[in-house]
Amino acid sequence: MSSIKSQSRHANLFVVPYGMSFLVFIVCPILFAAALAFTQLDLTSREHLHFVGLDNFREALKDPYFIQATKVTCVYAIMIVPAFVVLSFGLALGLQAMTFGRNAVRGLIFLPGMFNVVVASIIWRWFYDGEFGFFNYLLKRVGIMPIHWLGEKTLALPSIVVMSLWWGLGGATIILLAALQQIPTHLYEAAMIDGATSRRLLTNITIPQMRHVLLFIVVTSTIGAFQVFGQTFMMTNGGPDRSTTGLVQLIYDTAFNKYRLGYAAALSWLLFAMILVVIIVQALLLRRSID
Amino acid sequence: MKVRGRIAAIVMLAVAVVFLSPAVLMVFTAFKSPDEVLNPSSAIPHHWTLENFARTLKYSEEAPFAQWLLNSMLISTSVTFLVLFVSSLTAFAIARLKIKGSGKILAVIVASMMIPGQLFLIPVYLMLGWFHWLDTPLALIVPATAGGFGVFMLTQFMRSIPPSLEEAALIDGCSLWGVYSQICLPLCTPALATLGIFTFIGSWNDFLGPLVFMDSVRNYTLPVGIALYQSSYFTEYGKTLATSVLGTAPLVIVYCIFQKRIISSMATTGLKD
Repeated sequence: MSSIKSQSRHANLFVVPYGMSFLVFIVCPILFAAALAFTQLDLTSREHLHFVGLDNFREALKDPYFIQATKVTCVYAIMIVPAFVVLSFGLALGLQAMTFGRNAVRGLIFLPGMFNVVVASIIWRWFYDGEFGFFNYLLKRVGIMPIHWLGEKTLALPSIVVMSLWWGLGGATIILLAALQQIPTHLYEAAMIDGATSRRLLTNITIPQMRHVLLFIVVTSTIGAFQVFGQTFMMTNGGPDRSTTGLVQLIYDTAFNKYRLGYAAALSWLLFAMILVVIIVQALLLRRSID
Repeated sequence: MKVRGRIAAIVMLAVAVVFLSPAVLMVFTAFKSPDEVLNPSSAIPHHWTLENFARTLKYSEEAPFAQWLLNSMLISTSVTFLVLFVSSLTAFAIARLKIKGSGKILAVIVASMMIPGQLFLIPVYLMLGWFHWLDTPLALIVPATAGGFGVFMLTQFMRSIPPSLEEAALIDGCSLWGVYSQICLPLCTPALATLGIFTFIGSWNDFLGPLVFMDSVRNYTLPVGIALYQSSYFTEYGKTLATSVLGTAPLVIVYCIFQKRIISSMATTGLKD
């Protein structure tokens, strides 16, 4: 490599295009977002932006909409993350156990992940439709009154969880299956000679061997859950009665419907902080139980 | 064990049917007449009709579907080639030329990938406004080149292939640009293809970006077009689903062609710890 290094005067030129893009679209926006969070910038008012110190953050802590959206986001994450981890692990174990057709099934499970959030939401809103929906069609057939899945405050969020599971499980399943296939078979063979039951194999070999990948799935699905937006925007637009308005939707509304950009920037930092705190706590807790 | 494997196969096939059925129902329903959509008697249409597709494709001011398709194609293709070019240049400098502080550079790039995208939304929106790029394809194309994933992935790949060919070329008097374009890039074809597919899909499916940055109907990308258009035809499910089918078809074709590559590179994401 010495010969390549000797030409390093030109070498720096190779970094210039990405470096510029990084500077303009990563570094500048971060600094800008940090500054914005301490200003009042309302595109609707004539007033130009001015420094307001911590006012945006103070306002957020008293803002019932922010508190509500934080609750919705946390409830969504609490509902979806455990289901997501258990189901994707179960699907991966199922795929692993298959004697034929594994690749085809794996391909089909991942197919929904290719769908745009818009299309995925359209399909499921149609499924959930109070009058013409597929689920109510089935209910009517067995003589049950139709249910307004997305119109009921208590049902809307769980309905979105189900749709999101369908949409997102495939990717995690593929990752977990690959990890399952990496576990050395001699571990199982040795345990089976010792007469271990399949439940013991799962708890004493499979899960410990998979701990890092499972932690990865827990953390990434949590990050994804905290950023839920497309589904709620498309299927319920945050309703009914704000019961599906998560934090990203609140930030979007604040910035681009109410044009309060400074306040919305402060809310984005709060979201970022929440995600960081949650995944650090998760990692610490799970690490301790892992090692 | 053999019996259990068969049972697993049957159960998993049923699961696959469950996963696939929403998509299949969407396709079937798109071929139904409006009456049949609202009063279904079976999943499969009694009378197959192209009416929904014809109405979707017919040009209209408020829903120029072909224009959206073209916009999406143009934007996703440009993003893909730009990202491949810009990321591979940087990866070459980091992995091969080992420019000063390359380890730190890579660490900063990877750290930037951890920041949630919403944080960028408002400042980038204001900046694009100053550049007069809002409501133009540039707003969706240029910022995409700052993503760190491509640099990270290509650096990893380049480190895994031996540099002997490149060294030999340099000794023979090949320029750095020549080494990059004639030797390094061809060697990286598999990684470039994977990155290209993922970048294309990501750009095609991007929703928040075009929703915020695009203003006039004729400049929408396909997802935003479908999203905003269907909200005004709330219960015309036949038409909406036909639009969705047409909007998804290009990606499903990409998926079918590159399925093996997509799945195998998905599979390795979780293994690097």
